[in-house]
Amino acid sequence: MKHRAASVAKVTVPVRALLNRFALLFLILSAFAIMLLGKAETVAVERVRSGVVDLVAPIMDGLSRPIATVSTGVDRIENFFSVYQENERLREQNARLLEWQSAALALAAENSTFRKMLNFVPERGAAFSAARVIGDSGGVFVRSVLINAGAATGIERGDAVVSGEGLVGRVAEAGLQSARVLLITDLNSRIPVVSEKGRVRAILSGDNSAQPKLAFLPPNARLNLGDRIVTSGHGGVFPAGLPVGTISSVDDGVIRVSPFAEFDLLEYVRIITEFPGEVAGQIVPSTARPSRMK
Amino acid sequence: MINTALQRLDRSARLLAPFVVSVILVLLSALPVYVPGYGQIAVDVGLVTVFYWAIYRPDLFPAVAAFALGLWQDILVGSPIGLHALILLLANWAIVSQRTFFQGKAFGVIWWSFSLVALIAAIASWVIVCALNTTLISPVAALFQAALTIGAFPFMAWFLARVQHAVLRPIDVDV
Repeated sequence: MKHRAASVAKVTVPVRALLNRFALLFLILSAFAIMLLGKAETVAVERVRSGVVDLVAPIMDGLSRPIATVSTGVDRIENFFSVYQENERLREQNARLLEWQSAALALAAENSTFRKMLNFVPERGAAFSAARVIGDSGGVFVRSVLINAGAATGIERGDAVVSGEGLVGRVAEAGLQSARVLLITDLNSRIPVVSEKGRVRAILSGDNSAQPKLAFLPPNARLNLGDRIVTSGHGGVFPAGLPVGTISSVDDGVIRVSPFAEFDLLEYVRIITEFPGEVAGQIVPSTARPSRMK
Repeated sequence: MINTALQRLDRSARLLAPFVVSVILVLLSALPVYVPGYGQIAVDVGLVTVFYWAIYRPDLFPAVAAFALGLWQDILVGSPIGLHALILLLANWAIVSQRTFFQGKAFGVIWWSFSLVALIAAIASWVIVCALNTTLISPVAALFQAALTIGAFPFMAWFLARVQHAVLRPIDVDV
């Protein structure tokens, strides 16, 4: 027995020494390999990622609730002190909104008459799914959040994510019970948008700053500060007309958009899982996208 | 017989404590806090734990542990996968190889060394992310994060020291 152990040791000891020497090198190379695989959006890497997040999502969900409660409590205390000014502001806003409401009702009535006249076939409605934000991006280089809903509720990669204020981002990875949402401010976010008034098309391109910029503008584009920017729906990945933000600065030819969504205070989001004119729920490469223009 | 089996279980659970505590701290750091802007410059908890254990208990926190913790952080936080794995691995290696320098040094020296490591880690990860995305991005957030992490280091080191004393003191594992 002893003899056998010794002979085993005779083999294992040098092997272990060799392994130890090369372990660090091996790990460094693995880190680089994983980074490249991740960059290439390899399916296996994404599976592992969303699988692990799926496993811990219930824990994060449970842990994030008390934090949200505390945050809501702090908000309440803050609100208590500004209740008078807030009331004034809301009254004023209410008066303005009532005007808008009557305008909207008139337009809706007019619109339905026109539709009847045109024999317009209504498109089928959009389907939503709601989720809670359970993980913040603690990362310096990525703008993303984790949500507690995934493929089990019909969420797919590429789905648009909105909050009450406007577009938040798109689903970058969907697990079964969780998904990661890439915010529109992220370096890798590209969203086809259009200015609401001038109908100037552009790509909203994130650069990790709080205000993404407009790229691929047509020459002589007419844009003004404060113009509302909405999704254009080109490519069929996103529904058209989702509010994105307003033009906040024009600096050296770089036009920046201030998003409506407040990314720091996101608690609940809606995911648009289905919408009229969606290209079968897939992300179609830009070159192969059917033209949706008429 | 049962007693010794339990003791052995207890012992191995205690030996795993540095890694398990680090894993939990990284999970906590990924939760949303609803403070404007904090998510982008949140304290790099993984780096602090790797640094601490590499100095005080490198026997219980090998390179593989640093690598695994980095991957865990990448997955939870959503950073480019492999980025923290590499950074934490290199940090672990650098500190363990300089271990004799740290022995018996005052906390100030250790804090100063951590500042250096945090700064180098911030710059290195910024360079890697720029290379991965083939664009130049602003390094300001990374430097802010490094500053915040350096500021948080004494508090976290105090907490980790409490863990070390509470969990590792009862067993004689020093080699």
